[in-house]
Amino acid sequence: MSPLLAIDDLSVTFARSGLLSRLINPFPLPSFNVIDGVTLSLMPGETLGLVGESGSGKTTLARTILGLVRAAAGRITFEGRNVATPADFRAMRRRSAMMFQDPVASLSPRLRIGALLTEPQIIQGLPMPDRRAAAKALLALVGLPASFVDRFPHELSGGQARRVGVARALAMKPHLLLADEPTAGLDVSVQGDVLNLIGELKRELGFAAMIVTHNLAMIRHVSDRLAIMYLGRLVETGPTQDVFSAPLHPYTATLIQSEPIPDPRRRSQNPAVTGEIPSVFRRPSGCEFHTRCPIARDRCKTEAPAYRPMGTDRMVRCHFPLVTGGQEREAFSRASANHRGN
Amino acid sequence: MTGSLAASNLSVRYETPHGAVHALRHVDIEAHPGEVIGIVGESGCGKSTLVTALANLLPANARIDGSISYNGVDLAKLDAHHQRLLRGDEIALVGQDPMTAFNPVLTIGDQLVDFQHHRKDLGRAQKRARIAAMLGRVGIADAERRMNSYPHELSGGMRQRVAIAAALLTDPGLLIADEPTTALDVTMEAQIIHLLRELRRDYNGIIIVVSHHLGVIAELCDRVYVMYAGEVVEGGEVDAIFHDARHPYTQALLACDPARFHEKLDRLPTIPGSLPNLTQPPSGCVYAPRCDRAFAPCVSVAPPLVKLSVSHMARCHAVTP
Repeated sequence: MSPLLAIDDLSVTFARSGLLSRLINPFPLPSFNVIDGVTLSLMPGETLGLVGESGSGKTTLARTILGLVRAAAGRITFEGRNVATPADFRAMRRRSAMMFQDPVASLSPRLRIGALLTEPQIIQGLPMPDRRAAAKALLALVGLPASFVDRFPHELSGGQARRVGVARALAMKPHLLLADEPTAGLDVSVQGDVLNLIGELKRELGFAAMIVTHNLAMIRHVSDRLAIMYLGRLVETGPTQDVFSAPLHPYTATLIQSEPIPDPRRRSQNPAVTGEIPSVFRRPSGCEFHTRCPIARDRCKTEAPAYRPMGTDRMVRCHFPLVTGGQEREAFSRASANHRGN
Repeated sequence: MTGSLAASNLSVRYETPHGAVHALRHVDIEAHPGEVIGIVGESGCGKSTLVTALANLLPANARIDGSISYNGVDLAKLDAHHQRLLRGDEIALVGQDPMTAFNPVLTIGDQLVDFQHHRKDLGRAQKRARIAAMLGRVGIADAERRMNSYPHELSGGMRQRVAIAAALLTDPGLLIADEPTTALDVTMEAQIIHLLRELRRDYNGIIIVVSHHLGVIAELCDRVYVMYAGEVVEGGEVDAIFHDARHPYTQALLACDPARFHEKLDRLPTIPGSLPNLTQPPSGCVYAPRCDRAFAPCVSVAPPLVKLSVSHMARCHAVTP
């Protein structure tokens, strides 16, 4: 089976200085890579979790895939076709949709829900004999009452706005759904609701999904595969269950260990990782995680590790991955032995 | 100065053009020096109203009934001048958003000097020396240089450390941390949790941690109050709350947390239904419409506070000691 979406060596560059300083400074500062050499693919019907901390570039990557941010280098292939020109992206956006992070802010406050739900079809110039009926059908799809067509976004709760976001994303019957932090700001009793809805609709309509999040506890249950980002680069990819049970990259392992556990009998003794996330302005030399890695060695400081396959379905960017039974894994558990009792 | 805090039969309602919103109803909580108290609940449960009431920062349209006694003084009955004296001297607040906690046009050092306005006995140089020591204590390296930084030059995690330092500089007897890690990344969150836990070793006042994040509460607190729709529905030692929860809402809330499950779930658990309208709070149990154990009296009769052990109690008809 060929992938629905393939990203090959994608990079995104942001200018370092603003317009004003570029006008007065004849030698502008060099630009920097916020996304650097990302290679990733998504199979039809698959759910991929794109995980990273703030500033890791996960949202930028999602926006670049849909052409909302221009890539500096690399290739995007969607349904077997190369996507490069604005016209290509427009065609791709007809078959893919994005759920933006803030559900209320992404809905225009002056439009009623009915108009918001049918806007995508109008923009794409699709025939729609009865706008109201189409909007009601979409509301029914996400389990909201038909009377919502006449409401304004501010009249909705966070969970309801999220459902409208789902309905709007699915209005075009996309083959790919990009969801940026679909549960941010939602209560724990409501976030399950939104994720269950996406899961059900996925089974019913068969689209593939990429969920961008920093919420590990949630993504563990809703994704088939995980991609972990650090400073704009992928550091690990693999099947979700494998990544959680045996993370290969020390960064993935520290992320999993940092998550607070809702059990007072298993309190952490020490933070799993110290120090701050470095800035993309000043990327550390060698492996970019060496400044915070508990098992970094001299080689990590000077030589950048390659992004290489491990086994059949996993990739890792580390000189000393935490292979099960290997001495690195032992060293890592020793370094964090004090971390959490059982 | 350290003393105990007790809110008894505390109710807060907001007068609005659409009628009074009964945001807090008959809340009883207590906290003693040296304790870390957790207040947990989802949005709309009244946890923010409770801490703003404790810090005497309620807006003008709020009406308070009941009492908040701190060190034998009823805070709700103090005049504005005495309330102000208490805030910033005895009561300090660490907010959720470390980005907006500071004035962007003043250096960290200048702002932290201002935080010590109540220490009339100290000169500026002495205050700066205290700041340097306190920044070191909250894990900021190179404190002298950082004092000359502006807030935007610090990362989110570092700003939250400075906010904690600012609160501690006032020597508060009561430190309220309102969602102290919500705006932070998970690796920074773990560090701030660890910092708060370390600080309590030589801090002998009360710490109140407000959060919707069950993991943060479990990591930090000694005793926990669970709130729902403006009421405290269950309270007890942290271990009792997480391992022997008795109120159906607490049980449902714990069951919803995906962090509790390591095996992949096909469906994430949820709590069906929605919060009651707080302009007309129900006469019976607030949780009855969503409760799977509700029976006839739950709808009409307000449930009693059932004492389950010395410190564990739940407000529910279906719970027996």
